[in-house]
Amino acid sequence: MLTYLIILLDDTSASYCHYETSQKERRLIGLDDLKAGIMFAMKENLNIQFVYPGYELPAEYLEVIDSVDHTDIKPSGHSDGADVVVLNGWDDEVPEGTTCVIHSSRQELAEHLPVLTSWLGRVARLNIVLTDVETFTDTAIASYKQTLEAIADGVVEKYKAGKAVQLNLLTDRLMLTAMNNCGAGDTTVTLAPDGRFYLCPAFYYEDERQNVGDLTSGLDIKNPQLLRLDHAPICRVCDAYNCRRCIWMNRRLTQDANTPSHQQCVVAHLERNASRYLQMKLSDAGIQLNGSRLIEEMEELDPFNIVNRWK
Amino acid sequence: MEIRKIVGQVTPAERDEIQKLFERKNGLTELAKIVTADNDELYEKLIKDMGETGTKFQQWWDAKAQQYGWESHPKGNWEINFQTCEITLVAKDAW
Amino acid sequence: MAKSITFIVTKDCQLACKYCYLVGKNTKERMSWEVAKEAIDYILEREQEFNEESVIWDFIGGEPFLEIELIDKICDYLKMEMYRRGHHWFDSYRFSFSTNGINYHTEKVQRFIEKNHNHLSVGITIDGTKRKHDLNRVWKKQDPPPTSPCKGREKLPIDGKHRADTIYSPPSQGGAGGESERGSYDDVVRNIPLWLEQFPGAATKVTISSPDIPYIKESVLHLYSLGIKEVNINCVFEDVWHEGDDKAFEQQLTELADEIIDNDLFRDHACSFYSEHIGKPMDREKDNQNWCGAGKMLAIDATGNFYPCTRFAAYSLRSKPAWIIGNIHDGIDQNKLRPFLTLDRTTQSKPECIDCEVASGCAWCQGENYDAADTHTVFQRSTVICRMHKARVRANNYYWNKLFRKLELEGRREEYEKQKSKVKETTC
Repeated sequence: MLTYLIILLDDTSASYCHYETSQKERRLIGLDDLKAGIMFAMKENLNIQFVYPGYELPAEYLEVIDSVDHTDIKPSGHSDGADVVVLNGWDDEVPEGTTCVIHSSRQELAEHLPVLTSWLGRVARLNIVLTDVETFTDTAIASYKQTLEAIADGVVEKYKAGKAVQLNLLTDRLMLTAMNNCGAGDTTVTLAPDGRFYLCPAFYYEDERQNVGDLTSGLDIKNPQLLRLDHAPICRVCDAYNCRRCIWMNRRLTQDANTPSHQQCVVAHLERNASRYLQMKLSDAGIQLNGSRLIEEMEELDPFNIVNRWK
Repeated sequence: MEIRKIVGQVTPAERDEIQKLFERKNGLTELAKIVTADNDELYEKLIKDMGETGTKFQQWWDAKAQQYGWESHPKGNWEINFQTCEITLVAKDAW
Repeated sequence: MAKSITFIVTKDCQLACKYCYLVGKNTKERMSWEVAKEAIDYILEREQEFNEESVIWDFIGGEPFLEIELIDKICDYLKMEMYRRGHHWFDSYRFSFSTNGINYHTEKVQRFIEKNHNHLSVGITIDGTKRKHDLNRVWKKQDPPPTSPCKGREKLPIDGKHRADTIYSPPSQGGAGGESERGSYDDVVRNIPLWLEQFPGAATKVTISSPDIPYIKESVLHLYSLGIKEVNINCVFEDVWHEGDDKAFEQQLTELADEIIDNDLFRDHACSFYSEHIGKPMDREKDNQNWCGAGKMLAIDATGNFYPCTRFAAYSLRSKPAWIIGNIHDGIDQNKLRPFLTLDRTTQSKPECIDCEVASGCAWCQGENYDAADTHTVFQRSTVICRMHKARVRANNYYWNKLFRKLELEGRREEYEKQKSKVKETTC
């Protein structure tokens, strides 16, 4: 069931996920489209998330935006009042007590562990978006595992010092009892600056022909069942609940929206297993997190192999 | 006049043995049509293989015939049905 | 289990069959020897990855026998390499062809058959009676042939294998301003005796689309009369059906059932329309396998691209881009195969199909599913064939009820059950 509407205010709006916007030029959403989008959300009972560009919007836009309850996703440097701040890199300043997003390759992540650890003490929550999942090879498994465990050790120290930490790669899975995925096209849909709907911003930036309707004729999502978990043969048997199940990456790498690539599965499982490592370490330190469920040990990193064995 | 008579049946495992030999024998025979003596190494390997496979093939029939005691005929030979594992005695000009 | 590997050797064909799903046939795209060799080397080098017990090396077009010289070279290389490498497939392989039969008698094709006879599976497509066959399987319209002493009527040599009266005539040309269609029946049927002599027990593949329905019964019986004992016949998966087709189809199959049973043809003839296993409900878990083998086979085109099945190559698709899973230089991208290898019946089917009371035997083609789907997916099953399947089920039920009753009354039921497994004998 649809719950969220993401409104991209401009073609240069910050990217909070896997897609790139750095090559785009300014293109502000039409004011009428903005109003119509808000009306659509109100009538469909959707929570709105506005994604801002790195410049000041005209006053009339701000007034319209403020007329409705919403969440603001803003780029660092233009993040006054933001609910989520998209950082510019590991050298950026991190505002205290906020939810932040950072894009990073695995290599950069490994090289900036001290920075990461210091941030975990300041932010309310940190989402790390890995930019190079596509190039992940099985030879990188050991090094990524090592990186995650090093991060987990840092998280344990924070907890020991009395600081609660929220890090998407590690702590989310501790609390999850079911899949908590992006939900693009299922629980969330995007309104782009061209006034049309898309499953998520990534589809808009890739090709505008991939729209799923517009403000005049309404939403038109074909094969909606294939965006749901129950119609994803690999995902529905998986317990890497932390995985985003990015359907855009699915389409890019396997050509079908309901099928994840080997790389996505392996990365999600390494993170799942690192969550278990964190869970064990916290337990050894006598720290129990309310609502945390035991994560079972698992050696198989790709649930595709489990599905195939059953066949 | 031709006789066709089912005289026995082998196990699936035994059938698999002879089927594999049969396939290999056919494969070697057809390969021999295109491998010439110019290709020394392959040619010699092939000739040797054909001999060995032919021998194993015959040995299987001899061994099973003895093991099962199938009915025979001076003008006949046995055939195996790969689907059913049945052994059929086929004799032409039997009378 | 056998791995099917298909070489798309040409996109050319002498015919322009009206129901052909190959919308992109042309004379230009022919596989080169270099591409074929590289594909073979790629596959044979990876014996652990391609670890199926057996292999079927399949050749497709257009019309594959238009490239018999290339095929001959490929097959020789395959035999040599499988042997030289000690590959386990040397002990278990076949070369498979589905041909329009027009060139079957030619010297080069015959020489190839003689050379590889024990490893060949050759199916000639003859669609039934002349009037049914010529409805769809027509010669391609082409420019007048160049003047040549060899053109025109060509008599074949008399020897142990060829018939002196087998005459090949090139297609007649349409007059100026007129474009008459010429069916290919006569050019195919003359090769049937030779084909059956060389491959006793061979089966033919017959395709049904809407205009063919009135000729189904007579066509199957006609094929039997030609000596073809196994007729594999199915309706096309594309959306070509009209109101009333299912009723007419059911009537034809019911009448055919009467002919087969009343004349005892069921003893040593088979028609794929009738099966004891179709028309039953299917369990959501136990009967959840995918129908089609797309993804488990491999197809290679003239440029060296790999596909999960030929139906995903561009020349087979009306409205979707080709689904390429790799190529001979970079190898297979396993990610692009993942959707195929996780396909099951229920994930791609609508609820009414999953719970259908006569679901078993209702077939689909993954390529057609993809081509017809609303989005870029293989997980949307096309159901345009639903009413035709249900009509088939009704006629099929009639067939088995009638047959079993007849056999019981005649005290031959037990004998029939024993004989069933021997229909297709392979012996050594």
